[in-house]
Amino acid sequence: MFNAIEVLASGLSAARMRVNVLASNVANAETTRTEEGGPYQRRDVLQVARSVSGGGFDSVLDRVSLARPSIQAVIKDESPPKMVFKPGHPDADENGNVAFPNINVVTTMTDLMSASRLYQANVTALETARKMAQDAAGISIRF
Amino acid sequence: MSLIDNIFDRSIPALTQGLDLFWKRNQAITSNISNAETPAYRAVDLNFAGQLEKAFEGQSANNLLKTNGKHIDVASNQRAHLVEDYSGATKGDGNNVDIDIQMGKLIMNSGQYSQGTNLVRKKLHMLRTAIREAMR
Repeated sequence: MFNAIEVLASGLSAARMRVNVLASNVANAETTRTEEGGPYQRRDVLQVARSVSGGGFDSVLDRVSLARPSIQAVIKDESPPKMVFKPGHPDADENGNVAFPNINVVTTMTDLMSASRLYQANVTALETARKMAQDAAGISIRF
Repeated sequence: MSLIDNIFDRSIPALTQGLDLFWKRNQAITSNISNAETPAYRAVDLNFAGQLEKAFEGQSANNLLKTNGKHIDVASNQRAHLVEDYSGATKGDGNNVDIDIQMGKLIMNSGQYSQGTNLVRKKLHMLRTAIREAMR
């Protein structure tokens, strides 16, 4: 019966993870030095759908199964960095070019907004599921 | 139809079966909302397969749900099951969830669920009223 809530909790967690990763990208858009050397590399999430049973004997008839989202891994963007001419910068190479992360702040911000809206959609659905459970409980309370 | 028939009719079992179906549909919709950004996820929906009509079948004297009581409803031989939902356009990553359609379905479905629970409650309330009046 509480499959919906389990699925939505996974949805919330996946959306939050996405927001965290995107926030890390925005924050590090100008980071030229990292612990592993070189500029910061853009992170992305690898999200997969894991099927969950519809629950109960009736689910035998189902042609498709329900799925909960899951972040399988956080992956690094291996594309070459943006080279910006900045002589005198401590990280500049012999030609005066500095390697900056290959991050487009505008697209990252729009992705961030869409991830945040997705989180809200999950919260709304969770609220609806809760209200339905409350309606069902209300049958016995106030008949 | 006598008062007792009116109270102990099949509407409560039929309504609870309906509530189960709406609950199951809610699970399908929440699965879609959660996976709105999952690559290659295909939206799902619940095919009622006439189960709801069947639950209420033969309940009313004049059988309002069919134009003719002898008509055979092919769909009513099945039970509700999950099917693929093709309502949204498939995006580049193979996902076809349209979040606006799904949110609309969510609200519609929870509204129907709420109506169902209200009807069950009213029906039980009628029963309680009948019992109370008998105690006077």
